[in-house]
Amino acid sequence: MSYMDDSQNSAPGSVPASKVGGARKPEAGQQATKRLQTELMQLMTSPAPGVSAFPSADGNLLSWRATIEGPEDTPYAGLTFKLSFEFPGNYPYQPPQVLFRTPIYHPNVDFSGRICLDILKDKWTAAYNIQTVLLSLQSLLGEPNNNSPLNGEAAELWDKDPALFKTKVMDRHKDLDEED
Amino acid sequence: MATTATVGVSSWGQERRKRNFQSVFKTSVLQPVPRPLSSGQNVGQSVPDLLDLSERERELEHHPYLSSRRDHGYRRRAPHLSSSSSSSTQREAATTQPQPLYPSFSTPAATNDHQLVYDRAWHTVTSRIALPASAAPELQQPFHKRGSDSEFYDAFRILTEAKSLLPRATHTQDVVAWHARQAREHFIKHVVPLLEVCVGAEGTRHLGVEKSKYYERNMVIVMSSVKALENALRWYSDGLNELLSGFAHLPSLSPEQIDRLASLSDRFRRDVHALVASSAPEGLKNSIRIVLVRLASTILGMPAEGERRRPSPPRDDDCKVLATNKRLAELVGQLHNVGLTGERFEVLFAQVMDSIMSKYIIGAYGGVWSDVDAASTFPAYVDSLSRKNGGTTGPVATSSCIRLLEDWVEDNFAKLNVQVLNWIGAKPMSLTDLKTAKSLALGRLAALRIDEMYDIVLAWPNSRSALDDLRATITTPARRLQLKLSFSRVLQKRLLHPGCSTLEILRTYISIIRTLHALDHSKVLLSHIEPALQLYICHRDDAVRVVVSGLLASPEEQEAIKKFEEDKNKQKPPQKKSNKLTELASLLSETAQSQRGLAVVSDEDNDLDWDDMTWVPDPVDAGANYKRPKSEDVIGTLISALGSRDVFIKEFSTIVADRLLRLSGNAQFDQETLVLDLLKRRFGEAALQNCDVMIKDIKDSRKVDAQIVKEKGSKQQQQQQQQQQPLTTPVRGAAPQPKQQENIEEKGIEYHARILSRLFWPKMEREHFLLPKPIVEQQTEYEKGYERAKLGRKLTWLNQLGQTRVELEFKDRRTQSFYCGTVEATVIYAFGNEGDDDSEDSQPVKKGIQELYMELQMDEDLVTAAIKFWVERGVLRRVGGADSDEYVVVETLDGGDDSRNIIGDAASGRDDEEEQQNAAEAAVTPLPKVVQALSAKERERRDVYWRYIQGMLTNARSTMPLAQMSMMMKMLIPEGFPWSNDELQEFLAEKVDGGEMEVVGGKYKLVKK
Repeated sequence: MSYMDDSQNSAPGSVPASKVGGARKPEAGQQATKRLQTELMQLMTSPAPGVSAFPSADGNLLSWRATIEGPEDTPYAGLTFKLSFEFPGNYPYQPPQVLFRTPIYHPNVDFSGRICLDILKDKWTAAYNIQTVLLSLQSLLGEPNNNSPLNGEAAELWDKDPALFKTKVMDRHKDLDEED
Repeated sequence: MATTATVGVSSWGQERRKRNFQSVFKTSVLQPVPRPLSSGQNVGQSVPDLLDLSERERELEHHPYLSSRRDHGYRRRAPHLSSSSSSSTQREAATTQPQPLYPSFSTPAATNDHQLVYDRAWHTVTSRIALPASAAPELQQPFHKRGSDSEFYDAFRILTEAKSLLPRATHTQDVVAWHARQAREHFIKHVVPLLEVCVGAEGTRHLGVEKSKYYERNMVIVMSSVKALENALRWYSDGLNELLSGFAHLPSLSPEQIDRLASLSDRFRRDVHALVASSAPEGLKNSIRIVLVRLASTILGMPAEGERRRPSPPRDDDCKVLATNKRLAELVGQLHNVGLTGERFEVLFAQVMDSIMSKYIIGAYGGVWSDVDAASTFPAYVDSLSRKNGGTTGPVATSSCIRLLEDWVEDNFAKLNVQVLNWIGAKPMSLTDLKTAKSLALGRLAALRIDEMYDIVLAWPNSRSALDDLRATITTPARRLQLKLSFSRVLQKRLLHPGCSTLEILRTYISIIRTLHALDHSKVLLSHIEPALQLYICHRDDAVRVVVSGLLASPEEQEAIKKFEEDKNKQKPPQKKSNKLTELASLLSETAQSQRGLAVVSDEDNDLDWDDMTWVPDPVDAGANYKRPKSEDVIGTLISALGSRDVFIKEFSTIVADRLLRLSGNAQFDQETLVLDLLKRRFGEAALQNCDVMIKDIKDSRKVDAQIVKEKGSKQQQQQQQQQQPLTTPVRGAAPQPKQQENIEEKGIEYHARILSRLFWPKMEREHFLLPKPIVEQQTEYEKGYERAKLGRKLTWLNQLGQTRVELEFKDRRTQSFYCGTVEATVIYAFGNEGDDDSEDSQPVKKGIQELYMELQMDEDLVTAAIKFWVERGVLRRVGGADSDEYVVVETLDGGDDSRNIIGDAASGRDDEEEQQNAAEAAVTPLPKVVQALSAKERERRDVYWRYIQGMLTNARSTMPLAQMSMMMKMLIPEGFPWSNDELQEFLAEKVDGGEMEVVGGKYKLVKK
């Protein structure tokens, strides 16, 4: 009979809502996780070639892993790069923190994987999403912004010595182990 | 044990003694000498003057008979005292002392003269009033009037004044007490067995007799018993009267004695009545009960056996009732006379009245729920009268049932009670008792209505009166609880089981909502009953659909349901009830009209309306935070019962989408808009945005369509629905796609399109097939027109959603036109003759399913369904054997196949012919392969899941165990992940077999390419 008292004054329907998404971050995170779930669905139903992303294996929706395949006709062709996305609780009003986890030799990426990309900083708007970020990064691989390099050497070599650049890319690249 | 032994012994001894007495006194008097009824303890009391012991012992030396029993403590001089253990002694005494006892008293000393005189007098008196050894009523004159009256009076005087006349007679006794004892003994010994014979003989003899004789038989039992009792009692009182007359003849009577005499007679009667009442056999009581039930039932207006009518209060001039009443008065009078109307009778009568009241209420009001029935048996003026009263006393309208019932209790029930109590001289009925009786009756009525609750609900709204009864009678928490429990139980038993369709359940639910709201405006009752219902409804998958389609029912369907209700009221055999919950639609329009003004004010937040003069407190069983809903709100309650609002909204949009696509070009979607507004109020604008957009799409489509049509020109009609594919923008938050309707006119085909904004419509599959060429041309034209009108937008055609009007011309008939879907039109077009000729020699087109499948590139299932559609309409028929899948056009109705002409583009020839059996056709349909069996939706779902899995294994972790994958999927997919681990494993196994995955150490990973 207990259900009588519970449901007497409250509308039913709260059940499925709580089933979905998990009660990870109750308030601000709630909105973010919902949005991220939707984005995941979009990524899965209409995937873009060469990029993919997924929440990390620990089940935290605010922490994602992504993969970018190096575009053809660039020094990165045939390589895959792993990235990590850390979403703030008020995503999408703040940009995610994106890092290359795979070591990469690139003018706009430093040696610890930090990326210099305007849409991840001041140009961020809530209209962007994971897929657009990944596609932007993919195109960044082919068209680096050499005016504001994080890696000055790379910026220089990009124009001067593509062959050496390619070698440096291959030297630096290393597939990640799988333990995390 | 000792007592039973005594009885045997004493009756044996008694016989002997009687013989002895008779040998001497020639009398049949049974026990002329007083004797105690029971064991020795009583003896002291019944002996008026005890001798002191020494005197007795002295006396006993001379008294062989008495001496023989001294040891047993008997101090009576009575010669034949029954004793508990002295049978042998007694027998011995009797044999050794063959002489009658009486003379033995005279033999001792002269001091016993007085005693002798006394004994003689005693004998004279007692033999005169001794009772016969039988109770047979035939003995009309039990007393042997031996001796003259004067002798009797003298003797009597000696007895009563023994103290002064015979001071030395030591063994004296009160003769009145003796008479009481003998009467008692006589009653037990003779009357009771006689009564038992009366009851028993009748009882067994008529055991198998049919029911109609039941009452008569019991009446006979009662009457014969009463007669026997009357007889016996008359003897007893005759005896007493003799004694009393003896008293009357005493020369001097002191005032005390006169007083004593008066009370003596009363006391005697009371004693005898008590005796009768307490020792009447059980069977007699039953008979009396049966007789009483019968008589009282008639008086109170119950129908007789086999009579087919409802109980109703009898009219004042009903002869039968008057006669019965008289009969009852006689009977009760007789019973009263013989002492059968003691407390037990009162209890018995109360039981009888009680059971009659129950029966009356059930009989008179069971199933009577409308005022009409009751009023027909009731003068109209009473109705208006009480209505007037009701108006002045309070807002609660008393139902006619209750009025009638109260009148019955007052005029009939209580009246009879008063009469009977009066007849038996019991305490009269007070006003309080009357009130109690009324409230009892109302309680019975409440119980009846509670039992009927479910039927009352079903009969809504014709059961309003019954609800009035309930409202007036259910006044205590206990009754409310009873109502709740009993109703819930009935619901479980009669409604919430698989045998009831969802429609039925929902329909009943609506009635429940309305009924209980009428019963209890606070809705507390409803809220107690609802949970079980809601729980059950949630298990019904189609509940949402039924409700939504009911809400959206068209006005015509509402008309139909109204007609149905009228038919039902007129007792006509109703047509089949609509299979939609159309009540909802009518309710919706009602509430929309009535609530428009209130809507602003009556929002849930207003706690209390301070101006509400009819406010009453919440019922006691309301919960602590109970919030009183304002109105009946059937729809609201129903929707909230359906569980998740997301589910509801989703289902709602699906159905709305379906209807929007199906409705013809000029429909205004009033019903949809109405429902939408209602739902918006409930769920908020945002939740229903999609539906808004859908309706807007359709409306916008018309404008665009008209615009495009302007640019073109065409004749024939075909409507095509299309879905617009939005440009893929990498930037999220792209504006919703506008909708557009195209109309292309060309070559006699009228072509219209509806443009749907992709994101806002439910997911619709694109079915691929080749449209007829003219249509494709139209489509292309239209597309161009659209792209001109809306730059940068593209159309994606959803060909299978369209509707067409097809005109077919057959060889032997003129043309016939059909409305059908595009799939059907396409298939029949494939059967069309290309030429315009009417040549007689052209053969009807023959095509097989496989052929069509290749030609149209259409899914086999669709082809089969379309062919079935045309076969059912007599346009196509199968040729060849049952295994064949070839079909031809039925050109002529007599079975000949002929050529057929196509008129218009989308038209093809047709014929009427008998339909092929569906069964045979089903056999023809090729069984789809397993993969095909999966619905398109299912396939797509599997694709999406696969992408999830790929994404997971690519990014999150490259190897994962099954359980973790399942867990992740469940967490990440917004609609939930319905697969069990087993299903997922099966799915993954397919992928492993397909070489896309591998299992390493119990974990899955993707195969690197």
